[in-house]
Amino acid sequence: MEIIETRIHAVVVIDVKGRIDSTSAGPLQERLSGLARSDCAGLVIDFKQVPYISSAGFKALLIAAKHGEESGCALVLCGVVGEVRRMFEIAAFDQVFSILATRKECIEQLAAWPKPEGAP
Amino acid sequence: MRAFPRRAFMRKPANLLFGVDESPPLSVALLNGLQHAGVIAINLVYPVIVFRTAGVTAEAVTALLGIGCCILGIATFLQALHKGPVGSGYMCPATFTATYLAPSVLAVKTGGLSLVFGMTIFAGLLEAALARVLYKLRAFVPVELSGLVILLIGITVSLVAIRTFLGTTTSAPSAAEWMVAGATLAVTVVLNIWGKGLARMLCALLGIVCGYLAAFFLGVLSEGELGPIAAASWIAIPHWEHSGWSFDAGLVAVFSIAALAAALKAIGTINVCQRTNDAEWVRPDSRSIGRGVLADGLGTAIAGLFGGVGINTSTPSAGLVSATGVASRIVAFVVGAIFLVVGMTPKFTALLAVMPRSVMAAALLFAACFIAVSGLQVISSRMLDVRRTLVIGMGLITGLAVEAIPAVTAGITGWLKPIIGSSLVFGTLVAFLLNLVFRLGVRRAVVLDIDPAGYDPVKIDEFLRAQGAAWGARPDVVNRAIFGVTQLIETVLEPEGSPGTLHLEAGFDEYNLDVRLRYEGVALEFPQTRPSLSEIQESESGARRLAGYLLRRNAERVRADQAGSYAIIQFHFDH
Repeated sequence: MEIIETRIHAVVVIDVKGRIDSTSAGPLQERLSGLARSDCAGLVIDFKQVPYISSAGFKALLIAAKHGEESGCALVLCGVVGEVRRMFEIAAFDQVFSILATRKECIEQLAAWPKPEGAP
Repeated sequence: MRAFPRRAFMRKPANLLFGVDESPPLSVALLNGLQHAGVIAINLVYPVIVFRTAGVTAEAVTALLGIGCCILGIATFLQALHKGPVGSGYMCPATFTATYLAPSVLAVKTGGLSLVFGMTIFAGLLEAALARVLYKLRAFVPVELSGLVILLIGITVSLVAIRTFLGTTTSAPSAAEWMVAGATLAVTVVLNIWGKGLARMLCALLGIVCGYLAAFFLGVLSEGELGPIAAASWIAIPHWEHSGWSFDAGLVAVFSIAALAAALKAIGTINVCQRTNDAEWVRPDSRSIGRGVLADGLGTAIAGLFGGVGINTSTPSAGLVSATGVASRIVAFVVGAIFLVVGMTPKFTALLAVMPRSVMAAALLFAACFIAVSGLQVISSRMLDVRRTLVIGMGLITGLAVEAIPAVTAGITGWLKPIIGSSLVFGTLVAFLLNLVFRLGVRRAVVLDIDPAGYDPVKIDEFLRAQGAAWGARPDVVNRAIFGVTQLIETVLEPEGSPGTLHLEAGFDEYNLDVRLRYEGVALEFPQTRPSLSEIQESESGARRLAGYLLRRNAERVRADQAGSYAIIQFHFDH
């Protein structure tokens, strides 16, 4: 699995490429949590090139989201389609995470959200 | 005598206004009946072509069309019957069909109308006989093969249209005729793409009306041709001196393929009716399908008996029922009654009888597009491996070669000619025989031993995908099986890993995909509810229970057994 990071002002866009399973979920979670706790205002995770996500991947996302919540960094997902979308839906995680269609919408959403106190 | 149990527990879906057993207000029934009749009416083009090719008088064509409309009414009533051995009981009207067009045109050119009618009776009786062995048919006619038949029908219809217009035995079309054809096609297409509501639904009918008007104003339809229409009475029982029935063994192959195609289409249409009427539909009710195909076959046989061409269940009508939400059987009786009345209105059938070839060709070309593409969609609805690709590819290519290259059939004579000379027959036959041969070696069940040390989920994905293609399974069901297996193995191997060799079995038939994994260890838990977010985030057991929950939701049925030190997990997926 590959992770490509792009910064757009205070928002970090993460492109994930490859399967998110028990072998790749650990490193993904560490990277996401590290960013969530850093000085970014928002984290966009693009699933366009992710063909598969398992329970380990969801656990990684949930932990990163929790860390983000604690440090005022919001998590938004995009590119959630096909089989990955189906997994989000059967676990009802599409109600837990904020999921938008495109990267552009995610960045606009993050810009529109009010920042919690103490956040950059 | 065997009882014929009816659908006992059907739950009406929320989007259906009137279910099959309900009675809508008369105005709703009438309006819906008219809509269906309008959609079906354009298929009167098929018998018009056959009768005009026969070269009989306009009065004879008028009478035959009148008989044809009455036959549609009778066949629609038969299909709607819900007590007894005949009829699916659904609002599933009858229509003339492209399926019988090429065979009927061949028959009329070979032996006149008596041969058409005789062979149509044969096809109808054959289809009725097939109704009893339908469940065996499915094994020999995989879904993509029925898609190929539909595609070849679309192609042959388009060729009939072009040949009718360009006139292989009559004069080439005039400039006015080109304009009429263009106008008919243009109006139909514009209404279909940009029209709304009723205009869109009846686009083909409106296109034909415009074609008639254009033909009149451009002189394609002469005053002389319109004379008989003015002379025809408003109401009369259609009467025609029957030319009898004849039979030609050489046409058995082409009419048999048509009967098979009609049976398959009837199965598909009745399936749609079942799904529309039952919110809890899981799989086809084969008894009502059998009764429906029997009604369809009898309708065709009756058509041949009284002087008509083959009929079939109307698939666009099934779609219209979904769209309008009115599935009541009463509407079927209204449609049948409308056709009986139309059949006894010689003025209307006389108008149909003089349909210019430019209008016919345009209407047929339009229909051919949808038929051909529908066939392509059916073919691509299933995963295709090398075997299936060759079956479809060879069938299509040989069918096309017959049409495109006269040298292919130049030297063929006798009983072989109608088989090899017809693209529909030859293409289907080639595909059917190749399918029988290539089935050798395809196993319904496969096993795979997985060594945890070398476990690669991508290999499992490839293995199951290849197997799915060999089975011709639906890709969405195969995807679910792949998720089930890979998520389960991943969870079983975490956190300590290495429970010994994992033994995977997968089995498939047209309705079921079953997967079984056996491993040394404790069976995974499959909870009914998702663990809480904090449970998932903070504990290993929470994450495992999430995996079990995902697996339970992914399959229709999950079963976990413990046999000593071995756990056996089974997933069932409805196909």
